[in-house]
Amino acid sequence: MTSVNTLGALTHRNILKSLRNPDIVVFATAAPVAFALLFAFVFGSAMEMNGSAYREYLLVGILAQTMLMTSTNTGIGLAMDNKQGMMDRFRSLPVRPVAVVTARANSDLVMNLIVIVLLTLVGLAMGWRIRTGPLEAAAGFGLLLLFAYALSWVSAWIGLKVRSPEVLSNVSMLILLPLAFISTAFVPTEGMPAPLRIAAEWNPVSAVVTGVRELFGNVPDAAPISNVLPLQYPVIAGVVWSLLLLLIFVPLATRSYVNSHIR
Amino acid sequence: MTTHFVVDTATLTGRSLKHITRSPDTIITTAFMPIAIMLLFVYVLGGAIETGSETGRAYIDYMLPGILLITVAMGISYTGYRLFTDLRSGIFDRFHSMPISRSSALWAHVLTSLVANVISVAIVVGVALLMGFRTGASLLDWLAVAGILAVFVLALTWVAVIAGLSASSIEGATVFSYPLIFLPFISSAFVPTESMPGPVRWFAEHQPVTPIVNTLRDLFAQQPVGDDIWVALAWCVGILVGAYLTAIVIYRRTIT
Repeated sequence: MTSVNTLGALTHRNILKSLRNPDIVVFATAAPVAFALLFAFVFGSAMEMNGSAYREYLLVGILAQTMLMTSTNTGIGLAMDNKQGMMDRFRSLPVRPVAVVTARANSDLVMNLIVIVLLTLVGLAMGWRIRTGPLEAAAGFGLLLLFAYALSWVSAWIGLKVRSPEVLSNVSMLILLPLAFISTAFVPTEGMPAPLRIAAEWNPVSAVVTGVRELFGNVPDAAPISNVLPLQYPVIAGVVWSLLLLLIFVPLATRSYVNSHIR
Repeated sequence: MTTHFVVDTATLTGRSLKHITRSPDTIITTAFMPIAIMLLFVYVLGGAIETGSETGRAYIDYMLPGILLITVAMGISYTGYRLFTDLRSGIFDRFHSMPISRSSALWAHVLTSLVANVISVAIVVGVALLMGFRTGASLLDWLAVAGILAVFVLALTWVAVIAGLSASSIEGATVFSYPLIFLPFISSAFVPTESMPGPVRWFAEHQPVTPIVNTLRDLFAQQPVGDDIWVALAWCVGILVGAYLTAIVIYRRTIT
């Protein structure tokens, strides 16, 4: 069995597992939809941007926040497999270590794609529109998925280290919620206090969100030009952040998988 | 009989309060989420939100009343949980085999909830003061705030009692609080209702949280409270009476 076949089989297994458990998609979509409605129609109406402009600004932030939150599924899935003894079975098979983790990340990428489609439909119903051409739009979705894929590997590494799905879930929320909110996902950085503004401007989420907004043509008219490098070239910064995360966490997660049976 | 009830309730409340002092994490977790929301709204989102309030008035002054209601809504989920675990552990059956006033077991949980929520609210107000919350409210205003919050706590606690008595799982005993936690978000707690679109605005202006929030905000700001205070009290007392009567009926069914 070739590496590609092995990877395909393992990815297929994980996708089937997720599809047979549709509450994963429901929960992954329900919370962001609630957030989108709350921010668009309750808080958004009192934002300094006018309502419709804020809705366009917001939806990309919601998409990015969702990618952050769903990335935990990779780590939780691996931790569950570890707990249930599935990893030991994989180790007894002629399967390359990287394939097991890659398959998990790949299957979650497919699930993320489903979630993005659902959220895009909700966004369109709310009045959000992509103001650029199909190529830029595809690049925007591509950047979101690349970032989600990179985050899946971070989650995979944590999942293989922690090995308890419950602990991972709680730890992830403590890390991811500040990452999502202390960024340009929901509001521009201008109104934030100086230390938070600096953190938000250098937050990878801000680069990705601003980059996707540029690609979708959702940048507000009165948006000030940022003097921070990642927000001056957000698309490049978003890609660089994602590749950097992959470069660091693919080897780390693979090594953690190899070493996890020793403990 | 009345003395009997008071003594029994006091004894059982003491027992319930011991549970809280032995696991203070319930109070800490109750206060943690509202504080996190407060930090988020004040330091991250607050700078972009226009409340229409007079210039120089901090956003934290505007939003604190809503945060206090969220704190209460989070706190009462533990009442449902504690009552459910007591019922399941069989301790209520023991109480009923003793010469104890029947309803004192419920009232003990209610009063414990009141004490726990007072502590949680005090923690949240303390953090708000550190974050810049300021009020020129007089002692009388503070007493009015405390009174409204106490009636609100009692009203929601009896709702929690219904959940605790009728739930078939721990999740069922606590899940009722989620809509109550969410309700302040669709009210005047964080943004003025005038800025909301039609249907959302209508809902926000006709739900119980908005008049309570407006009353607390006016009391803190030393503004005339107008009709809001009566609407707020009507909601609180209405929920309290309705929930109390329902809880007593369910309780009688449960113990017979």
